[in-house]
Amino acid sequence: MSIDTESEHAAHGGHDDGHHEPPEVVDGRQKMGVWLFIGGDMIGLSAILFTFLYLRGVNTDGHWMSMWGYTGHPYSYYYNILDVKGGSIPNATLIKVGPLSAGLNWFVTVLTVLSAGIIWMAERGLRATKNVKSYTTMAGIATAVTILSIVYGIIQLQHIPQIFTAHNDSLTMAYTAYDSAMMAVDGSVVIHLFILAFLGLGLTIRSARGVINGTKWYQARLVRLFWVWVAISSVIASLVTTTVNTIH
Amino acid sequence: MTTTLEHTKTASIPQGGGLARRQNFLTGLIGGAIFAWLFWFLAHHFLDATSRTWSDEVAASVTLGWIIGFWLGIGALNAPGRWLIGKNNTRADDLYLAGQGQGKSRYWKFTTDHKVVGVQYIIMTMVLLGSGGILAMAIRTELIVPGNHFVNQQVYNGFIAVHGMLMILALIVAVAGPWGNFVMPIMCGARDMAFPRLNALSLWTLVGAAALLLTTLAVGSLTMGWVVLEPIANQAGVGMDFFAMAIIVFTVSTTVAGVNTICTVLTMRTKGMTLSRLPIFVWGAIIAAALGLYAFPYFSLVEAMTLMDRTFSTSFFVANAGGEGWLQANLFWLMGHPEVYVILLPAVAALFEIAAVMSRKPVFSYRTAVAGMTGLAGLSILVWAHHMFTTGWAPTLGGPFMLTTELISIPTGLFFLVLIGTLWRGNIWMKLPTVWMFGFIANFIIAGVTGIYLSDIPLDDQLHGTMFVTAHFHYVFVGSVLFGAVAALAFWFPKVTGRYLNEFLGRISFWLVFIGVQVTFLAMFASGLKGMPRRYSSYALIFEHTNFITTIGAYIIMAGMLVLLGAVITSWNKGEPSGPNPWHANSLEWLVPTPPPLENFDVLPVITEDPYNYGEELVRS
Ligand code: HEM
Ligand SMILES: [Cu+2]
Repeated sequence: MSIDTESEHAAHGGHDDGHHEPPEVVDGRQKMGVWLFIGGDMIGLSAILFTFLYLRGVNTDGHWMSMWGYTGHPYSYYYNILDVKGGSIPNATLIKVGPLSAGLNWFVTVLTVLSAGIIWMAERGLRATKNVKSYTTMAGIATAVTILSIVYGIIQLQHIPQIFTAHNDSLTMAYTAYDSAMMAVDGSVVIHLFILAFLGLGLTIRSARGVINGTKWYQARLVRLFWVWVAISSVIASLVTTTVNTIH
Repeated sequence: MTTTLEHTKTASIPQGGGLARRQNFLTGLIGGAIFAWLFWFLAHHFLDATSRTWSDEVAASVTLGWIIGFWLGIGALNAPGRWLIGKNNTRADDLYLAGQGQGKSRYWKFTTDHKVVGVQYIIMTMVLLGSGGILAMAIRTELIVPGNHFVNQQVYNGFIAVHGMLMILALIVAVAGPWGNFVMPIMCGARDMAFPRLNALSLWTLVGAAALLLTTLAVGSLTMGWVVLEPIANQAGVGMDFFAMAIIVFTVSTTVAGVNTICTVLTMRTKGMTLSRLPIFVWGAIIAAALGLYAFPYFSLVEAMTLMDRTFSTSFFVANAGGEGWLQANLFWLMGHPEVYVILLPAVAALFEIAAVMSRKPVFSYRTAVAGMTGLAGLSILVWAHHMFTTGWAPTLGGPFMLTTELISIPTGLFFLVLIGTLWRGNIWMKLPTVWMFGFIANFIIAGVTGIYLSDIPLDDQLHGTMFVTAHFHYVFVGSVLFGAVAALAFWFPKVTGRYLNEFLGRISFWLVFIGVQVTFLAMFASGLKGMPRRYSSYALIFEHTNFITTIGAYIIMAGMLVLLGAVITSWNKGEPSGPNPWHANSLEWLVPTPPPLENFDVLPVITEDPYNYGEELVRS
């Protein structure tokens, strides 16, 4: 490989000892990194939604939203018959589950969109007015909203019903295919929200300490990119799971 | 170009820093052990008070505790922690993290210098190949004669699964890990990778995953090969939880590494290093990284769902509750087929590089090479169901998938064209890297052609699930990828150590492994053609001879690999000195001193030509 040694020095003006790159260069690189992570995450989201739609599509044995199992008695009742008395348990009944609350689902999504909006506005404000204080406040609010959405996300996960069912002659709790897929979708949302809470807390603390400020706002933008993507993915997930869930 | 960074050579350890500077592999292990125990304790008390034995909940929690503790202990989480509380690294911190002035101990730390990470990947590849190899020898020893002798089927199943997965990990990193880190940034004219800390993270996360994978063997058996198909995966012991978590952790490592590689190539090239002047190896690395970024999310998802089925009683793959086993197979192979090209591409690209340098010619049809690799990557995401031809899933899709699979032979054919075209009428320099390259060419033909047999559905109906398939992909992995990896090792070894990899031992190793591969896997083809099923610890008498031959061949391969190991160990410190550019190559990694100083370049070079103009100057003048 041929190297032009003269322009080498001309370009650099001699020895550059600290090897510092201009911040825009570093920033552009990090932005690309965030975009690539988002790209990977898009594959993840589409795989989860594929799972949801696939299981609904095949509707194995008609069990997308139902399962043979037991209701009417507490777990210990069946456990006693089966394990303690060594007897056989009564015939299972077909237990149907309905779609989960779309309202709760959308509530979490709206909170996520709200926090994304706040973090975006905060960044625009910071870049326009250079006012760090209001950025810190807004980032703090966005973080608080995210924590709230985590709480509701977990409540949502806890609402997914389990069914007593017999499996290889022992009683287990199980989820239907629909509920399993919802576990995956909602679980993934909650994991993403945890990441946002971490990032939001970081932005709040960093801007309060002046590490992020009116001239150094690159990290605010990086986090915002990811934040907006999480909000969009949450909307997509809610759209899919609340509109095409039952089988007619 | 030849001036060194004096200050990095004589530099002392940067001052400052607290406890974090005491962290190393050992503290990582201690952290992992403590957290694994802590999570075990908590899980036992809160999730599983009734059962005394290990439950899946407890096992999954332990694996989570292990990786968190390991990360904490080795210092992987320091940077996010410092970021959170609003601190930035100083230049001294960064130099410390890069290993400045720390001698050999930096190889045992969360060190960010890409050259250190590269060497760590060499060691890691050897560890993975070594442990996978021991299992391979155990498997072949069991199969030397019919009947069960050393292990029962249950233990054997575990051996097969862990051997397979260890080798997959080993080969995913075998070329991209060492050389994608050690030489690729220098080839681009960069001072380091785009994200040095993420680079260290990907290496040590791989270590954490490998530890989980090896533990699988100790805690309980798996019931199936590396694909751990459902519903069998649901019936396996707690080893399956470790296995699934190992893969999830591993995908973190590959994702981070993939993002890092792509960003490095796209944003860190020096002035004048246009995309068409990139050494061809860089193209292979970046295409494989992009393909990995696409493929591995499926892998973590499918293993996460397997874990959920086992621990939270979800029903993704449980048919009597509305799930479906084919879903697992689809998600697995959506990852699985692209992944084999994540493995293959860096090795092929390294061989293009070697072929050009060792025949003193430019890469033949550079653009075709790039197009072939890109085409292969693109096509490879459309062929996954050829692994499911006989499962009964969507028979109507058989035709289309057969077509896409057979189309794969076009880009694969281009690889041969590029390699042979580069060597054609070249002034071929028969040194160790070249020798292993020729081994690749021979073996890869057999590997590719048998792949076409398997893509033919009527034939696959006969051959699926037999040792024929096993022989096919071992021709790819051992015969081709491993040969490419050794060629790359022999080629860049002088850059790492300043010494040649011992030519004599290297050639003995070559002949042993080359002959061993033919003996082992040709006989294995024969077993398969006679109908011997894969993954059984015993077999009928008609398979006796071919299996005996295969086992003998495996021992020959092992002997060859041990000779290679001997060559690496003896050459590392005592080999014949090579100088900075033993192959008289033109790409940047050869123009910096050996070993390259911290941050590689004193002054960044400006590139005016592609790296392959061997002899063109003579012609022109
Ligand atoms: C011309 C190129 C190739 C074609 C047409 C091809 C085709 C196939 C087909 C149809 C199968 C499924 C066989 C069965 O299970 O019944 C298969 C298995 C396999 N192939 Fe290839 N192959 C090709 C090249 C490769 C390459 C380059 C690699 C690796 C880098 C590879 C790795 C594998 C592996 C790992 C399996 C077995 C997976 C398992 O069941 O455990 N193949 N191949
Ligand atoms: Cu395949």
